[in-house]
Amino acid sequence: MNKLSLLACAVFIVGCGTPATYKDPQGRELVVSLDKVNIQDFATAGSQMLQSMISSPSFSKGAPVLQLGSITNDTADNFDTALLLSKLTVPLVNANRVTLLDNDATANAARATSGSNANVPRAEYVLKGKILEDRSNAGSTRQSSFVFQLTLVEVKRGVAVWTEEKIVTKQGTKNAVGF
Amino acid sequence: MKKFLPLLALGLLAGCTTILETGDKLERGMTPPDAVNYATTKPEGGFSTQLSDNRIGNKIELLAARKSKTDGGYTRVQFDLRNGAYLRQTINVSFEWLAADGTVTESQPNWIVTPLEPGALTTVTATALKAQSAECRLRLISR
Repeated sequence: MNKLSLLACAVFIVGCGTPATYKDPQGRELVVSLDKVNIQDFATAGSQMLQSMISSPSFSKGAPVLQLGSITNDTADNFDTALLLSKLTVPLVNANRVTLLDNDATANAARATSGSNANVPRAEYVLKGKILEDRSNAGSTRQSSFVFQLTLVEVKRGVAVWTEEKIVTKQGTKNAVGF
Repeated sequence: MKKFLPLLALGLLAGCTTILETGDKLERGMTPPDAVNYATTKPEGGFSTQLSDNRIGNKIELLAARKSKTDGGYTRVQFDLRNGAYLRQTINVSFEWLAADGTVTESQPNWIVTPLEPGALTTVTATALKAQSAECRLRLISR
């Protein structure tokens, strides 16, 4: 009887857990972590960067040729920086606001194949950046700030024509779900 | 004694804020999840609103919506918001763009957390990516 009671308790405890469900990645029921960059943080920083970038004079007309440079991840969290870049490049390319040049190797191969008749555009701008973090705490309250920095460099002159920094700060005692 | 009075007043004020915040939390806890509210620019100027969560209407005022064009001919809008409450509010905003015929042309894939200090005016700005985007629909949610 005791064994049965223990088993019943165990089943009850297991039953109390929350089963995994699908969530809208654009919704407001996502996990907010204090120790890492969440998927919604990339979306927030990326969309704000995008709004800032398209307001710069370099993007006022036409579809400039853009090449992606390096984005340095200087945080303790291991993630692919494409998570940030895609938030900018996907809407820009789909709206015909930029001509996105594939990587150097592909462009060079295309030029080599086509010879002097190559119709491979040259990059007008290079987008590069850095992601940094700052952590602090007061008692049991922890705070994490993730700093997203992007710079647009005009290749012809080698000067930065647009630069932006967005900071995502999260504070709390434990990870949570929601805004 | 005179030295203690400001301290007492400060303590009382801090207590008031805590009581108000607790009241706000209780109110939120006892009511259904906040609904999405909308403000949409009109072709002739101005804006129309669709208020689904009346509590936000009592706290956040939408003062103005300005529409302009960038040098490249893309529509840019600015919405002026004011926190009319005595407490700091955090709202989340997102933008959708509509063509002249009302079809959705662009949609922002995330919410932007926008803190509003009591009495503070805040301007949220968005620029369209597509030339056919003519009107902007601001989505607001209070949490």
